[in-house]
Amino acid sequence: MIKIVKRDQPSRAIFFLTPILAIFLTLVAGGLIFYIIGFKPFEALKFFFIVPIADMYGFSELLLKATPLCLIAIGLSFCFKSNNWNIGAEGQLTFGAIVSGGVALIFYEQEGFYILPIVILAGAIGGMLYASIPAILKTYFNTNEILVSLMLVYVSKLILDYLVVGPWSNPEGFNFPETRQFSDSARLPILFEGLRIHAGIFLALAAVVASWFIFYKTYLGFQMKVSGFSLKTAKYAGYKGKKMIILVFLISGACAGLAGVGEITGPIGQLHREVSPDYGFTAIIVAFLGRLHPIGIIFASLIVAITYLGAETAQIFMQIPKYTGQVFQGMILFFLLASDYLLFFKIKFTGLKK
Amino acid sequence: MNTNLKISNVTKIYPGCVANDNVSLEFNSGKIYALLGENGAGKSTLVKILSGVIIPDEGKIYLNENNLKLNSPLDAKKNDIGMVFQHFNLFETLSVFENLIIDSDEQRKSLREKIDSIMKKYNFSIDLDIPVLNLSAGQKQKVEIIRCLIRNPKVLIMDEPTSVLTEQETSELFLSLKKFSEEGILIIYITHKLKEVMQLCDEVAVMRRGKLVSVSQIKNENIESLANKMVGQNLKTIKKRKTKTSSDQLINITNLNFISEDPFETNLNNINFSVNRGECLGIAGISGNGQSELFQVLSGEILSDKNSIEYNKNYIGDLNPQERREYLMAFSPEDRLEQAAIPQMAIFENVALNNFKSSNFFNNGLINENKIKEHSKKIISDFNVNTDNIELKSQFLSGGNLQKLIIGRELITAPDLLICFNPTWGLDVGAINYIHETLIKINEQNKSIILISTDTDELLKLSDKISVIHKGKLSNIMNADEVTSEKLGILMGGGN
Repeated sequence: MIKIVKRDQPSRAIFFLTPILAIFLTLVAGGLIFYIIGFKPFEALKFFFIVPIADMYGFSELLLKATPLCLIAIGLSFCFKSNNWNIGAEGQLTFGAIVSGGVALIFYEQEGFYILPIVILAGAIGGMLYASIPAILKTYFNTNEILVSLMLVYVSKLILDYLVVGPWSNPEGFNFPETRQFSDSARLPILFEGLRIHAGIFLALAAVVASWFIFYKTYLGFQMKVSGFSLKTAKYAGYKGKKMIILVFLISGACAGLAGVGEITGPIGQLHREVSPDYGFTAIIVAFLGRLHPIGIIFASLIVAITYLGAETAQIFMQIPKYTGQVFQGMILFFLLASDYLLFFKIKFTGLKK
Repeated sequence: MNTNLKISNVTKIYPGCVANDNVSLEFNSGKIYALLGENGAGKSTLVKILSGVIIPDEGKIYLNENNLKLNSPLDAKKNDIGMVFQHFNLFETLSVFENLIIDSDEQRKSLREKIDSIMKKYNFSIDLDIPVLNLSAGQKQKVEIIRCLIRNPKVLIMDEPTSVLTEQETSELFLSLKKFSEEGILIIYITHKLKEVMQLCDEVAVMRRGKLVSVSQIKNENIESLANKMVGQNLKTIKKRKTKTSSDQLINITNLNFISEDPFETNLNNINFSVNRGECLGIAGISGNGQSELFQVLSGEILSDKNSIEYNKNYIGDLNPQERREYLMAFSPEDRLEQAAIPQMAIFENVALNNFKSSNFFNNGLINENKIKEHSKKIISDFNVNTDNIELKSQFLSGGNLQKLIIGRELITAPDLLICFNPTWGLDVGAINYIHETLIKINEQNKSIILISTDTDELLKLSDKISVIHKGKLSNIMNADEVTSEKLGILMGGGN
């Protein structure tokens, strides 16, 4: 007999074990899927998870992909911890990229140490501006932030599309949908010759430390948390709950905007149609897989980044579509949510009845 | 014809809790039965099983020797079991008549005649053609009862029916129930109010922690004996010692108004009162008459005109709750789980919600966790909160323990004034006693209380002065020893 028994309180150990369980189940299910479509499961999983990061270049690519995921997920953790469902990070990333790209284009013929900070700042502000829309609509007009932030993603992508095809397209670019190359002063420096990993990783690490500090050590973080759980309680405690909501959206928008800056001023160095392979959406999975904890998010971003790389290798070596990566991301989230059941219930094996 | 309802060995298990543990009971028509128990004792589960809402894991129900299969509320209705729930299931915007015919397939015209004759017979006067939202709580309940009566029920189950009624409406209800019983309807009355059981019922079944602990005749019981059975231990009765009231005024409210933009809130109209040091002012009223708004205005969640609240010779009407705490005011709101505490946060984090300057929870914007934890441990031991783990999320505290934590959090910094709103709502008798004792104690320490409550017994027990709020207006302030619950009932209903 198997019995399901409610726990007296959620298990702390299980809280950190379920992400690992979820990853394990994802691997098992992934192997099964590979087997069903006619591949050898272990070999396929090796192509997916080990081959891509077996050399220095692969490892650098891993960090390159993990950087925006980590940065955005850190920002999102502010929102999610305070129960604000910002799922429009992709839009905030895109808009941040647009604003910082626009600023970089102004300086396209100039060099100077001051350019990069301005470009970075512009990206953060762009993301904040874009995130402030769902925040203000939520606090002052009671709209649902999930819908607003999600729909704004498509708006920002269309704006970007319009700009790179129209007014901002490179005059010498033979009508390719892209802007001029930014000047070197507007580019985040590459860390190692021959690899693509760039200084954006430091932005991500700084965000990790800052979020940990704000959330666990400051009165501000405490107020954000309270406001997120209940505006009524925040009001009763005497906090300015609405301001808190707007603040978490701004922080998360700034992080997404910075991720956008990293994408365009890093290896690419120009604005084009596809600034992000849905990092803004995938970061939602990263945030939850990392249990909204800064350290957890670092690990989660690395793991999820592998699915991006794995999908590419799988496409090359196994001729399967790269969307397999999204299948894996979906499975991770699915199994994580499913195994969260174990937080509140335990399974007891008892002897046969009578 | 006689009706016999038998519950035989009913068990219902939820993960982590046995809601009904092998319960067997037998009821016969002609009598009114009380099903008594604290919150969580399992009485609601049992009546939900009888009304088909919940299917038991084990056990059988027999009506006149027939084994009933109750898989849905519809099955219960078909078998002539009628149920009036604590919370009304009415469509507010539909008319009374439309609400009554909604689940019936009889002809409109014959139904109308039937309803008219029921109303005549039991002396109900309700306009059938006005929308339900215009009715008082007592009238809404009558609509629910009529809805049951249309089907000529053999069994009528009432779940905590008086929680929203005034004293007068309650006695009207009791008259009707007695009449139904005389006509052969078997009545099962669920409550945790002992006085009502003594007044109304013939037999009483007491439940505790899912188990049936006793079945007895009312004539063999009294309030104390029932209370002890319900709680499972002997309770001491507490009484407020009459002290001389001081004339040292602490808070004075003059011409306080609040006009809400929200149609579901009540406007406050020219509120005036004052409270002296060491005094408890009780504010009675039926819920929804402006208590919540009054509490928020007093706590600073709703700001008002600066001069409308004078506190210790300062004008504080425009200060928010945090700023008012600096003046040594403390607040315990009605809603424990959605306002006074955050269930998903740890106990010590909940303690930090109330940030008196003297407690030093936060320095220069940084959390002083040691201080908070130290403070939390003190609250837990001083106020008898039954846990030793301050890292526990507060959702795992029982209602009583959570309320002790909240009251403790508010009181441990020794405020001059505590404003509390329904502090014992939904608690078990033991916890209620503890909270009452605590409130009496702080009065004895020359601290003041404003007690907004819908429980008149509580108000009469704890208050020095009492006023009644009705439709956002406050009655004259009366001395508590000159007031009876009958008089309060009249004022609560809007009479004079």
